[in-house]
Formats: sequence, C-alpha cells, structure tokens
Amino acid sequence: MSLYREHAAPIVLVAEDHNFDKMILEEVFSRAGIEADLRFVSDGEQMLDYLNRRGRYADEGSAPTPALILLDLNMPRLDGRKVIRIMRADENLRHLPVIALSTSESRKHITEAYSIGINAYLVKPANIPDYVAKITSLWHFWMVTASLPVVESLPP
Amino acid sequence: MRVQRLVSSEIEGDNTVRFRVKASASSNRENEMNDRPTPDTVDLTNCDREPIHIPGAIQPHGLLFAFTEENFRIVNVSSNLAQFTPFRPDDVLGGSLADVFDPASDASLRAALGESGATVGWLVPIRLARGGGAEFVGSIHRHDGLTFVELEPPERDLADAHAFFARTSGAIKRLQAARTLESACAAAAREVRGITGFDRVKIYRFASDFSGQVIAEDRDEGVASFLGLHFPPSDIPVQARKLYALNPLRIIPDISYRPAPIVPDVNPLTAQPIDLSLSVLRSVSPLHLEYMRNIGMYGTMSISIMRGERLWGLIACHNRQPRHVGPDGRQASEMIAQVLAWQIGVMEEEAVSRQTLKGKAIQRSLISDIEQLHDHRAGLARNSEALLELMGASGLCLHSREGVTTLGATPPEAAIENLVSFLGRTGGAELFQTDRLSAIFPEAAGYADVASGVLAVPLSRSPPRRVMLWFRPEVGQTVRWAGDPDKPVTNVEGELHLGPRKSFAAWTEETRGRAIPWRSHEIAAAVEIRDLVTGVILRNTEKLERVNAQLARSNEELEAFAHVASHDIKEPLRHIEAFAGMLGESIRPIGDGRLRNLVGGIESSSRRLRNLINDLAEFSQVGRRAKPLAPASLQEIAQEVVADLHQRIDEAGATVEIDALPVADCDHNQMRQVLQNLLSNAVKYRHPGRPCHIRIFATAWREDERRGDGTGAVTTRICVSDNGIGFDPKYAEQIFEPFQRLHGPDAYEGSGIGLAICRKIVQRHGGSVGAETSPGLGSTFWFTLAAPPETKAPAPDRPKS
Repeated sequence: MSLYREHAAPIVLVAEDHNFDKMILEEVFSRAGIEADLRFVSDGEQMLDYLNRRGRYADEGSAPTPALILLDLNMPRLDGRKVIRIMRADENLRHLPVIALSTSESRKHITEAYSIGINAYLVKPANIPDYVAKITSLWHFWMVTASLPVVESLPP
Repeated sequence: MRVQRLVSSEIEGDNTVRFRVKASASSNRENEMNDRPTPDTVDLTNCDREPIHIPGAIQPHGLLFAFTEENFRIVNVSSNLAQFTPFRPDDVLGGSLADVFDPASDASLRAALGESGATVGWLVPIRLARGGGAEFVGSIHRHDGLTFVELEPPERDLADAHAFFARTSGAIKRLQAARTLESACAAAAREVRGITGFDRVKIYRFASDFSGQVIAEDRDEGVASFLGLHFPPSDIPVQARKLYALNPLRIIPDISYRPAPIVPDVNPLTAQPIDLSLSVLRSVSPLHLEYMRNIGMYGTMSISIMRGERLWGLIACHNRQPRHVGPDGRQASEMIAQVLAWQIGVMEEEAVSRQTLKGKAIQRSLISDIEQLHDHRAGLARNSEALLELMGASGLCLHSREGVTTLGATPPEAAIENLVSFLGRTGGAELFQTDRLSAIFPEAAGYADVASGVLAVPLSRSPPRRVMLWFRPEVGQTVRWAGDPDKPVTNVEGELHLGPRKSFAAWTEETRGRAIPWRSHEIAAAVEIRDLVTGVILRNTEKLERVNAQLARSNEELEAFAHVASHDIKEPLRHIEAFAGMLGESIRPIGDGRLRNLVGGIESSSRRLRNLINDLAEFSQVGRRAKPLAPASLQEIAQEVVADLHQRIDEAGATVEIDALPVADCDHNQMRQVLQNLLSNAVKYRHPGRPCHIRIFATAWREDERRGDGTGAVTTRICVSDNGIGFDPKYAEQIFEPFQRLHGPDAYEGSGIGLAICRKIVQRHGGSVGAETSPGLGSTFWFTLAAPPETKAPAPDRPKS
C-alpha cells in the first residue's frame, strides 16, 4: 500500500505525554479545520512500538503508517531525541517526516534537534490563535506544498 | 687567584712558600694537597695549602722522640739530641725507649700512656738513663700512629703546686666576675700576662670572613697598643686556623732559634713527612719569624679560644725579648683561655636567647594581630617597629602586588621594585642576605647609605611574589688595619717574593657600601617570621578557596534551580493560557462582556507571568551561557541589533544613528543582548511628542587617571543616547536591579529584567553600566569595556545629543 494523500484523512502520529497537550492539539487541529487522523502515543517506547507494529500495535491495521509525525522532545522514559536517533538509524523508518514540538526556544535545543535529523522544529505557542496559525501553515506546507516520500508500507 | 696581598701571619707566618722540594718520600708529590708546593704554582691557594704541619724540624729548646707503642722503639728523633744528652740520633734510632730513659721514667711514661684520656699535652717527668740523669718535663701525644714525647728542661723556678693552683683559681674567679664580653676579654688578657709575663697580651677575635680584630689588650707601657686594629684574613690562613683548632697552644720562646731537623723526616707507618700538628716544639715558618722581627717581638705564644669546634679567637702574647713559658704556665694560660671561651659562650647564648625571646614575643603579637585584622599586611605593619628592632635594621619594606609598605629608612619605591625583581631573577625562593648589596647589584650603590645590608624573605613561594625586606645602612666606619692589607706582592726579577709586611703602622681603610653583617640568629628569626606569615597566608588562601568553591557550587545550583523551576512552571502556565484562550473563544458567541473580561484577565495574567518567568530564566542563564571573550566589532553588533529590531524601529518611526564603534574583547551574543536591550528600551520609552532619535557612539578614556603613569587600562564607553521621556535621575542606579520598574505594566510592557541582564553581562566583562538622564528630555545609557591593547577607541567626533 502506498500513502494516500487524496484518500481518507492523513494519519498524523503524535507523541505527547500530557493529556492537556493532547486536548489542546486536537482543539487546534479542529479549529484549523484540518481533517487529520490523529493517533496519540505517550512516550518514545510506545511510538517505536507503533512504528514497528509490535506490542499493543501488533494487531493488523492497528498502526497504519503515518504521513507525518509530531514529536514532543521532552517525554518520559525514551525521550524524543533518542527516538529520532533510533528512527534515523532504522532503514524502514528513516524517511518519515518528523516535526519536533517543544516549549523550548533555546538556540541550543533547536540546533541540536536539527542536527539529529528532525525535519522541522515548532515552538508550541501558548496562545490558541497563534497555535492554530502555526499548525495551519505547517499542515499546508507538508500536505500541500511539499512532496512526501512514497514508500511501500511494511507488509501487515 | 692573583696574589694581591703581601701575606704573612701576624700570629704565625704560615704563608711561607718554601721552594724547597724534598727528594725523600713519594715521587709524585705535587699532586698531593697536603704536600709542599712546587715553585711554579705559587698563588694564594698555595698559601692556603702550605703544609705548616710538616716542617721537618722543631725548635731547639727541647727534644722530640717518636716511637711506636707496639715495641717502644724510637723511629724519629730531633737532631739536637746531643745538645741535651750524651746520645747522638744514630745511637737511639731503632733502639728501645728504655735504653734512653731511666727505668722509673720509662715506667711512668708507660703508665701515662695506659691512662684513658692521655692525649695532647700530658706531662710526665723524665730522667735520662745516662749522662748524669738530666731531668726534663715530657709532653706526650699520639698522632698518625706514632707516639711523641717532647722533652723540655724543667722551669728554673719551679713553683710549687699549691702556688700554681692558687694563682690559677684566683684568675678564673676574677675572669668569671666579668659581666660583659669586653671586660671578660680584658680580664683574660690581664691574667695571662700576669701568669706569663709577656710584654703584650691581646685578645684577637675572628670575624665571619676570618679577618681579625684586637678587642682587648694588656701591655707593658713600653710597647705599642694594637687595641682595635684589624688584620686581614690572609694573616692567618685556613690551614693555620685548622691547626689552631686542633692544637690549642703555640709557643716560640726565641724567634732567633735555629730549627733542629727531625731524623729521619718520615713517618715509617705512612711514608709521609712526619706530622707535627700536635707538637709543642714544632718549628714555624721563617716568614713568620721575619714578621715578628718586623714588629720587634722576639718571644711569642698564642692560645686558641674555641667555641665548640669553631675557632672564635686567640690569646696572642708577644715579648720584646725571647721568653719561654714552661709547661705549668702554659697549662694555666690554656685554662684561662678555656674559661674565657665558656664565658663567651654563656654571654653569646644569653644574648641569643634574649633575642629569641624577643622574637617569640613579636611572633605571638604578629599572629594575634594578623588573625584579628584578617590581613597579614596590616598585621606586619602594626608590628613593624618591633620587627625593625628585632633585626637590628633601620628600614623595613613589605612588597606585594598590592603595593609597597615601608618603615624607617628605605630606598625609594622604584628602587625597591628593581631590587625585588633582581632578587626574583636571581632565583631567590629562599632567603637572601648580604652586607654588601652594591657588590652584586651595582645600582644599589646609589642608595648604599640606607641599604648596603639587605635581608629579604619571600612570603610566597610562587609569583606574584610577596617579599619582606630589612635594610641596614652603610657603616661609615673606618677600619684600622695593622698595615696595608692590600699592599701588593713585590715581584723580584720575575719571581714572586712573598715577604712579611715591613710596615705595621696602622693603615686606615674607609669601608664603602658595607653594612654590619646579618647574624645567624637574626637570619633565623627572619626565616621564622617568614614561615609564620606564609603559614597564615596559606591558611587564609585555603579558606578563601573553600569559600569560593562553595559559592560557585551554590551559584550553579541556584542557576540550575531557576532554569528547571521556570521550565516546570511554564508548562501548566501554557495550559492555563491555552484553555483560557479556548474558553474566551467559546463564550464569544454568548456576547457577555463581563465573562469575556474575566477570561481575558486569566489570559493576560498568565501571559505576564510567562514573560516574567522567561526573563527570570534568562537572567539566571547569563553566567551559564557565557562564552570566552574574543575581539569583536561593536559596530557590526550594533548594526545586527538594528536589523533585528527594524520592525519595532520602523513602527515607532525612530531613526538610529551608529557612530564608529571599536573592536572590544567580548562575548558576541551577550554584547548583542545588551545593545538589544538598550536599543529596545530607547524605542519603547520614546517621547510621544517628537520623532524618536537614537544615537549609539563610543568614547575612550583611561580608567585610572590618578596613576598618571599611563598604566591605567584603556576603556571604551559605549553609549546609547535617546531623546525620549527620560526619568528621575535618582533612580539611575535602581533601574539596573532585577524587576525594578518605573512604570506600571499597563503603561509599558516588560518585567524589568532587561537592564539587570545588561548589568550582569557587562560586569562579567569587567565593565560597569550607568545612565544619565533628564526627565522629559532623554537618557543616555552607557557601559564600559576594556579595549584590546592595539585598538584605540575613537574619540567622540561631536558632542552627544
């Protein structure tokens, strides 16, 4: 199967540990009028399980390949930076676009994130209209402007 | 070394270089230190080597026998044997002592040798076996494996033992009554003269350089006084002093004697010339005899004054006529010398222990003062009078990087600086002392009057050096030499001629550039003070390092805490703001203005709190984000900042003018942060009634004008000047404190951290910040930075607006 941009809602895998952040993100997507299939995981371990279709995601069809990954860099257990390093070392996962979501505006953190292979770095705005605007433009860029890799998904 | 002085011994002319090379003994003798020199190597070293202990002869007023105690057979005898006895040397050499001495004498000699402690000068009455049984007094000693018996005729008026004892013990009592060194020496001279009857008896003391001075004298009115005269060290060369330490008494009853050779002149055990170090009859150098004749003295005796192993001085006796002092008189004189040595010892030790007690008292006071004042310099300064007195110095100086503190008479400060760096160059990690500074440091001649003597102790082991120096003035004293000590050697037809001084008229020499030498207990006291002060400094340094480490740790913890805390606080705050925002939008359709205001309050309050936390985090990060300072163009930084802020500048309709700014050692990012803060403040607090004009410029001046020597650091002052609203100048300092604001949050946004961050950054660069303002007209905010040495900050090209 290939990624279908034109069929159904694109799948966005979101790694976010905090429930409030999940709620806010869903609200932002909704206010932005984006039709996306948001799949949440709470930490890095779960995210890797999802991508590798194992553990709770072992069931067929429970972990469709995402079009985009939104990753909170600060997560418990396996944090975002480690997850990216693991993904970028994995032949089956390294092509997936990953957008970092973070509260940190530190130059050091931003530079570091790009250097380990993040595709874009997005500072979470505190203000909802700002957040909506950012997600809208992000979505437009990745889903409309940019051409995404087309790769056979892993066999079920 | 060139022979510079016409040397000869005042006491015994042991400098004679006899160009007599004996054919006997080993064939390779010129290589042997203790042997007679060959004529082609005459110099002062040879004088010092001149083997006065092996003259090969004795004085003829007695006889000398040498034998081995293994078989009591005679191996050497003096050639004048026949003058006193019916024997000739050949009759007795190889024979037994028992054949020469009568049985009773032989027995008492053997008994004496059996006594433990039978060493130098043991007296035994000896009667000869033949020739009418002539009587002698025999002195016995052992040396180099041989045993020596030296026979002298008995004294003509043999005093009885009781009279001798009474005289000697009376002399000792009188000597012990003396209270001062001078009076003890004078008493000793008097007593020795009383016992021996010499025309002149003088007490001669060695200085540290082994020159000597006559410090006491007792004399017949008919002879000249030597009191106070100095004698050069070469008068009594090193090997003579060594001999004098070994054998306490020398006597020459008649300087016109003809030496009686010893036959054979070789010790059969060592195959070396026979060593007469401990002999009382030892023949002396002809040069010394000439010296004696020149001073008109024909009989002489000298006794060593020993302080432990050290030759402290001599009791020197002279007589215009030949004079013999028998064994009793010699023993009594030796006893006087010994008692005098004890007296001197006691007096010197008393002086040292008084000095030591004084030193300890000063040290106690120093420790308590340093601890009380928390400053070793202040402690030393408070005790400087005592420190000066303790060392017998006339000037004291504490030199450290904090400056120079002087007390009493010292060279000028600049001279002290030079001296200290000279001492540093000569590698003096330890103590330095001299009594002739200008001899090793010529420029010191310029201040010889205050500092010919220097005693310097470093108070720190590594640079920057702290040094404590004591100074002693030049001694303007005149030394009266007994004859010119520098009178050159006469060169007779290409041959060195070493002869004794002909003239003994006192010859005066002005001492230049010399101070009274530092004495050993003074040096020891200086070392103790150094150890004490370095100990205190070390303890203080360690304490300071501990406190610094603690401070650094707690600073780090505080910064880390501020960072983490702000991060963790921001998270829920962001949620509050987001939910409030969503709530606000959800209730908008309801159209309830009151509800909207309430929700808006939550939003704006959480926004403010977020900004505060951000600023606080930034403030706490100034130290952590610091990068090493490197030269950077302030001009470029200012241009970058203007570019960053162009939107705000444009919105405000402001114009920003950037003058030529210098290159400075700084942290580029932090400097940018400072200029950004100052520039955005200038835009923010613009005057509503006129166009905003901002100028960034630099002025240069010396930080420390008062030094006046051009050593003050060149500093650049960067100014950001505006025509804004200004503020009351009384807040000019307060505004640099964190969270200090002059306006309510509704009037102007901001947490009040910007200027605090500026100040923290500038302080980190070693500079300072400030503001000049007049309300309603405008403000100039400035900060200073050290300019790189090769860069000159431009002077202001026009007056500031």
